[in-house]
Amino acid sequence: MPPRQRAGFRIAEQLDRTDLEDESDRNPMRRRRFITAAAAAAATVGTAAGCGNMQSGDPNTLTFMFRGSTEEREVFARAVELFEEREGVRVDIISTSADQYATKLQTAILGGRTPDVFYFDAARATAYMINGVLADITEYVDSTSLPVDDIWPQGLDLYRFDGDQRGSGAIYGMPKDLGPFSFGYNKTLFEEMGVEPPDPDVPLDWDEFLDRCAQLTGDRDGDGTTDTWGTSVNVGAEIHAYMWSNGADWLSEDMRTVTVDTPEFAEALQYVVDLREVHGVTPSINDTEGLDGYQRWLRGQIGFFPVAPWDLTLYRTLDFEFDLCPYPVGGTGQPATTVGSLGIGVSANSRKPDLAAELAMFLACDPEAQAIIVGEGQTIPNTRSHAASWVQDTSVEPQNKQEYIDIVEDYGRFVQDMLTYTPEWLHAFHTNLQPVLEGRREVPEYLAETQQVMQSFLDTGHEQFRIDQEANS
Amino acid sequence: MTSTRTQAAVGTAAAAGAAGRAVRSGRAGRRRAGRGPLHRSERMWGRLFITPPVVGFALFALAPLLFSFYASFTHWNGLSAPLFSGFTNFRTMADDPQFWQSLGNTVFLMLGIPIGLAISLALALALNRRIPGRAAFRVIYYLPGVSSVAAISILWQWALNGDFGLVNQLLAGFGIEGPNWLAEKAWVKPALIIMGVWKGIGFSTLLYLAALQSVPRNLLEAAMLDGAGAWRRFLHVTAPMLSPVTFFLVVTGIIGGAQMFAEINIMTPTGGPEFGSATIVWYIWQQGFQNLKLGYATAMSLVLGLMIFVVTAIQFYLNSRNVFTVE
Repeated sequence: MPPRQRAGFRIAEQLDRTDLEDESDRNPMRRRRFITAAAAAAATVGTAAGCGNMQSGDPNTLTFMFRGSTEEREVFARAVELFEEREGVRVDIISTSADQYATKLQTAILGGRTPDVFYFDAARATAYMINGVLADITEYVDSTSLPVDDIWPQGLDLYRFDGDQRGSGAIYGMPKDLGPFSFGYNKTLFEEMGVEPPDPDVPLDWDEFLDRCAQLTGDRDGDGTTDTWGTSVNVGAEIHAYMWSNGADWLSEDMRTVTVDTPEFAEALQYVVDLREVHGVTPSINDTEGLDGYQRWLRGQIGFFPVAPWDLTLYRTLDFEFDLCPYPVGGTGQPATTVGSLGIGVSANSRKPDLAAELAMFLACDPEAQAIIVGEGQTIPNTRSHAASWVQDTSVEPQNKQEYIDIVEDYGRFVQDMLTYTPEWLHAFHTNLQPVLEGRREVPEYLAETQQVMQSFLDTGHEQFRIDQEANS
Repeated sequence: MTSTRTQAAVGTAAAAGAAGRAVRSGRAGRRRAGRGPLHRSERMWGRLFITPPVVGFALFALAPLLFSFYASFTHWNGLSAPLFSGFTNFRTMADDPQFWQSLGNTVFLMLGIPIGLAISLALALALNRRIPGRAAFRVIYYLPGVSSVAAISILWQWALNGDFGLVNQLLAGFGIEGPNWLAEKAWVKPALIIMGVWKGIGFSTLLYLAALQSVPRNLLEAAMLDGAGAWRRFLHVTAPMLSPVTFFLVVTGIIGGAQMFAEINIMTPTGGPEFGSATIVWYIWQQGFQNLKLGYATAMSLVLGLMIFVVTAIQFYLNSRNVFTVE
């Protein structure tokens, strides 16, 4: 290479280097700032990722995740405030709408970020207990000064687990509430239509119920179209009441065999189908597509309809009066309906299990907290002593609050999907039910066929239970 | 004076020598560069800059993908550690009627892709002309594309209402009694197809419009001079020139269609009448998050991913022989 060229190369190289080095030398702070900024950004990202943590490291802070309607969330937030004041701790609330809750909780569990205290669906309880999601809070229950013994025993037992079966053994959660799914009626509509109201103590049999429904179905505004109906049956929520009171059940006593293919079950389902398809005392499919039964009830167009405790806040604002009555009875002559429940659990990974358990128990049975929760009409009292005085209060609807207590103490039942490992078997019942409800398919034929599908899902669920039980034993 | 042959020989040797030197000096250069503070610094910065995307890919794409391969061979409930179960999930899948039904539903819903493309093309042809209010129409057709899927789903839930829905009111205007769209097994999928076409039409139209405007005028003029009428010009010039866009829309449409979830979950939250609208992704979600079968759900996801890959590969193969371009 000629010297000139070499010199030129060197000069160019030197210039290049000088340019860069000078740039960095001239601005040492710029690079440092950049590195500092990058480190800060990385730290921020890390911190932000950590903010997803649903368990606080602060010993005086708990996280509580729950769900419900806007009204329900406000009510429970107030009860939590009371806990914060009393215990001198902070509770970070994470609340979602009901339809998003299960997925959000599942994601939190998957990510190892289970909140300290959280609502859980009773149908998920066994899985949470067996897989180490829920903490055993028996020791805290035994040592608390809160009136845990006053809680409905059925509610407490629902969250006991002995490693094999629910109903006995260690306590893994508090009942947030017991939800007696009572039947009710629109008193105003009964008066307008001149129909005799149901007796609060003596249930109607199916024929009497049909007769009242027929009287309530009609054209109230005289425009030539039907605008009031005797009832509107939400099969998913109400089939239990009809089927149980007729002596049928979903599962055998040991919960290993699906028993929907019985004459009693078929008779109950046929009765429900006929209410609409034969007797026309409920809104038709098209009627319910426009405004479903619930919306028509809110408009005062339905005579008999379920009145659950969580609906009371809204129902008290309606333009008509309502009250409770027992569900109509089938072959057994005994009313039946479902009792729902949500659990309040403590994460097995909580760093403050004692405080977390105290919050769970506080929400379940503290008299002041219960006064806030029950006072807003979201739930019936969770404790027996409170319930005894609550039923005497006739200042707010419904007057016949005793019906709720009767359901909890006497004729209410838990649907078995709350007790099996997975609820998939029950979903299978509803998957292909539509043609039956529309009268396009024979009830016995459907039940015989669906029994096999349901049994297969029940067996699969039991197999899942067995595998998880062995893996976690 | 050196002969031409000698020059050539020297040239060749010089070239070979230069190449050899280049290789050697390249190695040596790299060695030298490795020692230079400037190059070390550049390397460091280079690595620093590519680290975030590489780490991001490894953490959020590669690692979950590898884990999902493993998880699909496990009994995993999402609450505790997965347990290896061999091919159980895949055997279950083969015998699961709901898996096949949801897969069938998903494929059926893809009928909306050719329908949507045909309507989009027609609209693009119309909007490509100088008609009054052209810009306004373009905005109107594109609006559903930028709207929230949840909002659209709720809107259509009302529009498809069997009693008071706009669709049935419109049909009633023509003396047709509309079906109960979302409550009847026979109509729930057509209803979802209609909604899907409406939602996707703006995006497809926009792409077709851009493609139409890039069809070379000289080709159209040449065809016209050769005596081709409007239809022949469209068929033999315009349509072939649009094939890359059509290919893109079909590929993305199939991939998007295979992943349809939000609309189903909002409009028919239980999978529709007789499971008639349950798509494969909805079913995967239901199994994973509702029924504690994350291992099984992962196996289904893997099969779905494989299916999408195979279908896309076939499309690329077919397309490689049919695409027309002007260099």
